[in-house]
Amino acid sequence: MVSDKRFRISPVVIFLVRRSAFLITTYFIALTIVFILPRAIPGNPLALLLTQLFQQAQTNPEAIREVYKKLMEEFGIGKPIYVQYIEFLSRAFRGDLGTSIAFYPKKVIDLIAPAIPWTLALLVPATISAWTVGNLIGAVAGYKRGSKFEKTVLISSLILSQTPYYWLAMLLMFVLAVRLNIFPYGGAYSQDLIPSFTPQFILDVLWHYVLPFLSIFLSAIGGWAIGMRVLTIYELGSDYMTYSESLGVKESIIFKYAFRNSLLPQVTGLALSLGSVLGGALITEVVFNYPGTGYILFRGLSTLDYPLIQGVFVILIATLYIANFAVDFVYALIDPRIRLAGEKV
Amino acid sequence: MNPLIYMLLRNMRFVVGLSIFMIVVLLGTIGPLIYTKDPLSFAGPMETPPSPQYPLGTDTYGRDILAQLLWGTRNSLYVGLLTAVIATIIGLVIGSVAGIKGGIIDEVLMSITNIVLSIPGMLLAILVASYLKVRAMEMVALLLGVTSWPWFARAIRAQLMSLKEREYVYLSKMAGLEDLKIAFADLLPNIASYVFMAFVLYVNGGILGEAGLSIIGVGPTRGVTLGLMLQWAALMEAVRRGLWWWFIPPGAVMVAATSSLMVISTALDEIFNPRLRQG
Repeated sequence: MVSDKRFRISPVVIFLVRRSAFLITTYFIALTIVFILPRAIPGNPLALLLTQLFQQAQTNPEAIREVYKKLMEEFGIGKPIYVQYIEFLSRAFRGDLGTSIAFYPKKVIDLIAPAIPWTLALLVPATISAWTVGNLIGAVAGYKRGSKFEKTVLISSLILSQTPYYWLAMLLMFVLAVRLNIFPYGGAYSQDLIPSFTPQFILDVLWHYVLPFLSIFLSAIGGWAIGMRVLTIYELGSDYMTYSESLGVKESIIFKYAFRNSLLPQVTGLALSLGSVLGGALITEVVFNYPGTGYILFRGLSTLDYPLIQGVFVILIATLYIANFAVDFVYALIDPRIRLAGEKV
Repeated sequence: MNPLIYMLLRNMRFVVGLSIFMIVVLLGTIGPLIYTKDPLSFAGPMETPPSPQYPLGTDTYGRDILAQLLWGTRNSLYVGLLTAVIATIIGLVIGSVAGIKGGIIDEVLMSITNIVLSIPGMLLAILVASYLKVRAMEMVALLLGVTSWPWFARAIRAQLMSLKEREYVYLSKMAGLEDLKIAFADLLPNIASYVFMAFVLYVNGGILGEAGLSIIGVGPTRGVTLGLMLQWAALMEAVRRGLWWWFIPPGAVMVAATSSLMVISTALDEIFNPRLRQG
């Protein structure tokens, strides 16, 4: 067959287009779940909330009546369900997530937006460094099978991977902040400082950053190390490895082969784990009073501020999918099966 | 003796893991029968450190922490177990139907699975839980189970897909056996150890998930669990005020339960999985 080189789309592009189509579809489904839930759960929590507000309006008329009106309007109560749905979607895509009840008349998006950088600044470095360190330790452990190093890594990884972030956070806080007084209890910076780009403020932020970072970093390392150890053992047992060994290939090169090949599934694993890492990090933020989205969510949950809770959900899922796409992108670049797929036929 | 059991008992890690887990189970099952104090009565003095009368001290409301710990262990194990049952059944059914039937059914089921897999389970569980005024332990387990089955379904499908191509399965097909019979006689026994290991991971997921939901404020609305204990401790700033006897025990029991299960599961993996077996 004659194939025209100019018109062939790179397999990397095809892969990425397919992935983004999937993620966008899933995002729609997630939005739909957010829309349906309050309307489908028996006892309609939204209606209940509105009735409560309405009853309070008898005692404290003006302010509450306004909240009530705004809510009725935003949830489109009384309109046909499909109109509500379309309005909901179009608002969500414009970034309008409604008005908070607890912080009325603040917009939900204005409450969440300042929190996102804090969550990302905590999550991204912690996840990437845990992934890197965990994989390196795991690979060495798998390579040095039967050694003392392997046994220590395995047991400590097993325990660390099953230690919830938030409890580790409490322990670190107790030992390093309360007992030894090295780090602050919580928050993202000292209350008496005004956020600015001065060295003093940046150092203060970093000082507050250490404990939340460590709790996520430490409990995430274990899982990666365990996975990488097994993958490396599998890889070392494969035929091409035995062959390389019999050819007398240097140990450092064998280790490199095994490491590179075992890393691919771990990249996929990274994409899959982002969601649960996010969940754990949100709760860690609560323990440290860290002003990220987790803390906002916690405030929303404790006041039953449904627009705020929904808003956090919608924004976090969008962020997660963007991160997922970034991982897919890296994957497409490093996996030769995707990169070279078109050229082999 | 059965050689498999012999191999297990010779594996130090398995024995240690199993013993620690059994201790946790005993704490939760027999513990409340022996130490019969009411975990939720406001009878004691406020925030006393451990003493002979209160072995693990009391909390801000004067409740006995050891009693809470025993009941909490029992309830957390219950939530974990229930979560695992729910997630394993859903994953097993969807994964095996997709893997055995193939074709269009497979495609539909796998699309659903991939979509659920992409929606972060913990967030979804928090969202749903926030709408429920009353949350029983069973409801929490249901939420955690329903949001966590997809990876297992995918793994089961992949395993069955490869098993399906084995010769003895073809023989059964030629002999005219029904799909269901083939599934139960030829395929499922091969993945039994795998299912068991996934079940163990789901028990852990349920225990840790319950704690996560509780700390953020949407855990069970009645009773006491290890997660609720941590939530109360966090609310009352137990860490900041140095009340270590309040927040260390529930976390320690939780980690003892989950890591011992994990140790058991990896030890089993090394025995069942020939590729990991050491020569």
